[in-house]
Formats: sequence, structure tokens, C-alpha cells
Amino acid sequence: MPDQYLLEMKGIEIQFPGVKALDKVDFFLNKGEIHSLLGENGAGKSTLIKCLTGVHHMDAGTILFDGKEITPTSPQDAFSMGISTVYQEINLCPNLTVAENIFVGRQPMKGGMINWKEINRRARELMNRFHMDIDVTRPLSHYSTAIQQMVSIARAVDIDAKILILDEPTSSLDDNEVKLLFDVMNELKSEGMGIIFITHFLDQVFAVSDRLTILRNGRLVGTYDIHDITKLQLVTYMIGKDMDAIFNLKRADVAPDAPEMLRAEQLGAPGQIQNVNLSIRKGELMGFAGLLGSGRTETAELLFGAVPATEGTETVNGKQVSIKKPIDAIMAKLAFCPEDRKRDGIIGDLSIRENIALALQARRGFMHPISLQEQNEMADKYIKMLSIATPDAEKKIGELSGGNQQKVILARWMATQPDLLILDEPTRGIDVGAKAEIQRLMLEMCNDGVSVIFISSELDEVIRCSNRIVVLRDGKLVGEVNGEDCTQQTILGIIAEGTQEGVSA
Amino acid sequence: MKKKKFSMNDIMQSKITWAVVAELLILLVCFIIRPDFFSIKYQPATGMLYGSLIDILNRSAEITIISMGMTLVIALAGTDLSVGSLVALSGALALKFLRWDVLVYNTPGDYTVKPFILVILVPLAVCTLLGLFNGFMVSRIGMQPIIATLILMVCGRGLAQIVTNGKQFTTLYSPFRVIGQGSFLYLPMPIIITIVVVAAVSIFVRKTAFGTMVESVGINPSASRLSGINSRRIVMIVFALTAFLSGIAGLIMASRVMSNDSNNFGINFEMDAILAVVIGGTNMAGGKFSLAGTVVGSIIIRTIVTFVYYFGIVSEATMAFKALIIILVIVLQSEPVRQRMSKLGKKKAKGGVVHA
Repeated sequence: MPDQYLLEMKGIEIQFPGVKALDKVDFFLNKGEIHSLLGENGAGKSTLIKCLTGVHHMDAGTILFDGKEITPTSPQDAFSMGISTVYQEINLCPNLTVAENIFVGRQPMKGGMINWKEINRRARELMNRFHMDIDVTRPLSHYSTAIQQMVSIARAVDIDAKILILDEPTSSLDDNEVKLLFDVMNELKSEGMGIIFITHFLDQVFAVSDRLTILRNGRLVGTYDIHDITKLQLVTYMIGKDMDAIFNLKRADVAPDAPEMLRAEQLGAPGQIQNVNLSIRKGELMGFAGLLGSGRTETAELLFGAVPATEGTETVNGKQVSIKKPIDAIMAKLAFCPEDRKRDGIIGDLSIRENIALALQARRGFMHPISLQEQNEMADKYIKMLSIATPDAEKKIGELSGGNQQKVILARWMATQPDLLILDEPTRGIDVGAKAEIQRLMLEMCNDGVSVIFISSELDEVIRCSNRIVVLRDGKLVGEVNGEDCTQQTILGIIAEGTQEGVSA
Repeated sequence: MKKKKFSMNDIMQSKITWAVVAELLILLVCFIIRPDFFSIKYQPATGMLYGSLIDILNRSAEITIISMGMTLVIALAGTDLSVGSLVALSGALALKFLRWDVLVYNTPGDYTVKPFILVILVPLAVCTLLGLFNGFMVSRIGMQPIIATLILMVCGRGLAQIVTNGKQFTTLYSPFRVIGQGSFLYLPMPIIITIVVVAAVSIFVRKTAFGTMVESVGINPSASRLSGINSRRIVMIVFALTAFLSGIAGLIMASRVMSNDSNNFGINFEMDAILAVVIGGTNMAGGKFSLAGTVVGSIIIRTIVTFVYYFGIVSEATMAFKALIIILVIVLQSEPVRQRMSKLGKKKAKGGVVHA
């Protein structure tokens, strides 16, 4: 143990209306350490971080930074003290260049004018340090989410930050990009920076961190050295329950003579995806497996009419339907939870009640309003059923944690009583407990006769839940396996085989 | 069903509270300077009540009516710049029909195109059609609302000039006079029309799900589409409604002076309407809106103008004076001030408990 921590947060307490968000939480960060902060949604991770970055005001407790007591009053204030934060959502301007984004607000000047040469040179240097050879004079929107994420990290570390907070930085990155990020993190660590790492990916916690602190319901569970704890222990500590009890899931039973719910034949939208042939039976859970960009999302969007199909046919419950826009699909009793919750799912400023009622209301048309009483009953029912953590149904959905937002979106679709529910990455960016709950819900719905299409990047999750798994690659359906007797190897094999074909072709 | 309770905190946090407070403050100043500001008298000659307060309500009618539509446009994260021009066009069309005889008789007579109802319906129908054009440009062509409505803002007055051949008509036809100068239940007709419009729009928006859908599309168009909301239809309806209401405002205006004036009718109305909406607490970025707030906003604007006239402040200073008060209102209801006020309120409440 060093004689002095880089950061000491002691006895932090924060009271929100009706709930104690943090109760006497201690957190210590060493110099040159990657420290993971873990906990379920609503455990108080973000609140603790926001306390450190001056967003929330502490009701009690002290923060020592480099031995001196600090009370950050705003993110800018914390930033100028050397506490840098990279958030899950990228807070950059997509229409500015990479270099401008890194230096905006603190451009090097020369004779009263902005020194563009210097900006671009320094930006290039910085990106090279992150092993990224990109043109820094192009607009940020030109690059992938991963690169944008790197740019926001570059911006955060270029000021002489001593503490770097990474809040879910990896949720939009693929494996290679995550590795790259870890290299950068390790490099920064060796330079003596203290890094606070928040993530839901437990593998990543073990891959990169030195120590970890676990919070549960606003209380400190403990701080552990990474070598002193197993994954199972970690999860048990996080959720306060036994892991097996949660993950004891059983696949849906599909009767051998269950009728066909949906059939797609040669469905396609040229330029996006083509030749989609699918058949799903009533009460069946079908998984979509494939790499990022393999066409999983596109297929789902095609089925739901988010991207209108221009060729092929779609049959729901034995009747051929023409689905040109989402409302057509909703009329045919389809439902779709999109991948990007923030962009395509939540209506941030509306209440939970209004968000839940939205799709049903859209199906009925605005001239046939759902009465306030019905809405309240509906909201209360789903808040209870999905255990959405909120004081009441009038809270804005934007103020909920990610997992709870996802549950509200799920409730929106459950309220329409769909025959087929398409879930695109419903478990991304949410914690283990909520994840298991959503999986359990999916399976319960299957048993109630709803067909589900489940899309996830996490193969083990798909395998655990699906009756059948469709494998996609390069915008094509390349294989189909039975969920019961399949392993990750089988699926990876199909994906790889597809690649070989591609090479030989 | 749980009843929603309004706590002191809710009231202190609400934007409309502060708009009302601002309005009351201005009225208080009026009262201090001239205690007779609030006197309302019955005038047997016209059969109407008469006084500054009535005058404020009467003269705010046009902006209040237009801003009902503008509130919805702004809730969709748009703006409609064409309302002022449509006011002029509506007035021009009405007078054209009232003076179809202008080539025969030179003096304003008791003439109108028969049936008289056409004088009302045609301007409203034309305005509604042009509103649909605005909506089409925004929802189908994908133009930004401010640009799409700029087209009509510029050419609407031109259309008005064409309708009347660039002339200013005058009429004496008394049924037309009722709209702007008549009375009902001792109140000037424009106030009655305003009450009807505000009530109708409020019922349409809040008793159906239309308002929620407008808010939803204004906050997140993409998520709204995926939830099955037909945002195009919503945009079309909102722009058509705004234009229709501008048409009503145009008729009231024309009836007040029994004449048309394509150059001066409805000048700066788009700005006043937008201002009324913003003062009323609806965010220009779209989303949650408050029709009641907008009504208060519109009344505030008119109160300021009346104030200026009433106290003989030089008319050149009117604009500057208006700006001053509006800045005050907007600052009063800004996020930081409201937060601070609600904290103050809390502290006081706590203090009260201790003393008790």
C-alpha cells in the first residue's frame, strides 16, 4: 500500500428525494492503478462518479485528491483539477474535425489567432500515441463509434489529467477495439494515472483492472484485489443473491405442431439486405447470431418495416401482410425493441406512463385515446411485473438507469400484446441482474405463446435461451442450428465457414 | 387511481407560475401608478364592458389564437414564420369578397358576396391549404420548418396584394363588423372567439392523444416512428391548424378596422407568437408544451404594450421597453433561478416547521 492514495472519498452520503442514493461509501484510488467500479443499475456507481465530478452535491463525506480536500462544484471545475471523464455517450461534436474536437475550448493560439497547424500536428501526435493513424482534419462523423470513443478519451487525457473516469466506454466497441482501448489504458496507467473503470462486462474487469470496488443499493460491499476474487463471487456480491438461482433458465417448450407465426420469403431491400427466408413458430424463441455488421439488425428492421422491404413476401399468422412502415407491423401484432435505446427507444422527456402507452396508443390512433385511468393501471401493472425501479409512473424515462429504461421499452411492447417480439440487443449495457430478468421475461412470454426473435452479441446468452439460432454473415443467412444441442464452437464454425466461402468465391 | 398531489416544490418549479407572477407584477406596477387601471365600466352605448383589463384581453386575441398553433409547431421543434403573412392574406381575401362590387360603386356599400358565409370560409380554407403546403414541405420534402415557412412568409403578402390588386378596400357591411367589434355576454367578440379557440384546441390536444404524440415526435422523431406514430400526419395537422388559426386572426383584424392592409396586417406576428410560446414555458427545442402558459405569455406581451400606451411612454421606446420586460420574464423562469427559488421555498418551509 502506498502511504498516500491519489484519491480518497470517505463517508460519502447523498440523499435524493425519497431514497438514500449513497450511504457512507468509501472509495480509494491509487496512483497508476485501474480500479473497476461495479454494481447493478441503481447501485450508486454513477452517483458516486457524479459526486466526484461535481454534478451532485454531497450531503456528507470528504474527498481528498492528492492529500488535499476538494469540493468540485461542476464538471468543468473537476476537469480543471485534473479529473477527466469519458461518458458512455459520446459528448463530442460530430460536425467538427477530430482535431477540433480534441482542442475545442483550449485551442493553441498564435498572435491572437488559432494556430491550426499546431492543432492538427498535436492531434495527430495524440492519435498516434493511441496507435490510430487517422486523418485528424476529417469530420468526426466520418469515423466509427469506436474511433469517436477513442477521440473522446484522447481529449480527456490530453489535459494533464491525474484521474481518468471511463463510464461504460466499451459498450459500443468490438473485441479488437476493446483490446486497443485496454492497451491505451495500460499505457496511461504506467504513466501514473489513476483510472476508474465502469463496465458491465465482467470479463473486461478481470482482463484489465488491478482492484475493484463493489456497490450495492447505495452501500459499499467492499474493495478487493483482482486476484483475491472469482467471477462467481463478484456476481454474488453485486446482486446479493446466489448466481445459480438467477441463471436457472429453461428454454421455451414449443409443441411440435405449433402453428407458424411468421414466414419471410425472399424478403429484401436492395442495398441493405436481401434474400431473407425465415419461419418462426408460435411460442418459439429464435436467436440471431453473427458478428457486428453481419446484418442481424438489418434483418430485424426489415421484418418490422423500419426499413421498407421492396421485394419478397412476409406472412404473419398465415396471412400475407404488406409492411411498409412500423405502424403496419404493429397492426400485424409485431413489436420491435431497437438496439439503440437512446436514439430509437425512449422518449426522454415523457413519463414512464406515457412511454409505456405510446405504441398501443399509436395503434389505436390519436382520436381514440387511452384514458388516464387505463394508462395508470397499465403503468402500475408493468412497473410491478418488470420490477422497474422508480418512485412512481410519472418520473421521466430519461431519468432512469439504462436497465430500467430497457424494461419500460419492453413494457411498451408487451402492452400491445404482440404475437412476435423482436429484441435487438435488449441486454446491452445493463447489469447481470437486469440481464437475467429480461431473459427470464422473454422465456415467460414464449411460454405464453409469443414468438421472440432475440439478437445479441453475447453468444452464450443466445445459446442459453434460443430454441433455434439463425447465423448471419455479410448480410446473409448462412446457417441455422438447433439451440438445444449447439455450442459456441458450432456457431463460430458456421461464421468462419462462411468467410472461407467468401474468400474462395 | 392515485391523485396527483401538487407540492409547494412543484409550484415553485413550474414555469407557468413564474409567467403568472411576472404578469401580476406588471399589473401591480400599473395599479400603483394609476389605481384606476383596474376599473371596469359598463358602456350601455355598445353593450360592452370597458376598461384596461378588458382591452388587454381584447387586443391580445389575435396573438393568443395564433400562438395556440405556434405552441404545437414549437413542440414539434419547429417554427412557423408564415403566420403574419397569412393574417394579411386572410384579411385581403375577406375584403375582396366584401367589395366584389368595387368596380361598380366607388363608395363602400352594404355589399357582400352571397352567401356571406363564403367571406368567412374561403379565407379560412385558403389559409388551411397553405398550412398543408407548409406541412408538406416539412414532412415530405424534409425542409427545415423555419425555411419552409419562410417561403410563405415572403410570398404570402404578395398573394394578398394580388388578391386585392394592391388596393386597400373598406367596407361597411355590418354582419362582418360583429367579428371584431361585436359583443357577447358583455364581452368584446374577439375575447369570446379566443376563449372558444383556446378551449377547442386544448380539448383536441389533451382529450385525445394528439398532444402526447406531438410531444413524442418533438422529443424523439426516430423512436416515435418505431413506436408506430405517423409523424408526417401529425406535422401536416399541426401546420394546417396553425394556418387556420392565423386565418381567424386575420378576419378579426380586418373586422376591427373594416378594411384590409396587406402591408401592415400581421407584421411581426410570428415573433410575438413565438415569444408568447416561449414566455409560456415551452422549450424551443421541442417536446413538452403548455397551452395555458402560452395564453399567459400572450397576455403578458399585450399588457406591456397597453402599459406603454396608457402611461404615455414615447412610442419609440415601446420596443425597447417590451424587450426589457421580456428579458425579465425569461430570466425569472430560467432553470437556475427556478432552482434557487424552490430551494429558498424549501428552506422557508423547514423554518416554519421548526417554529411551529
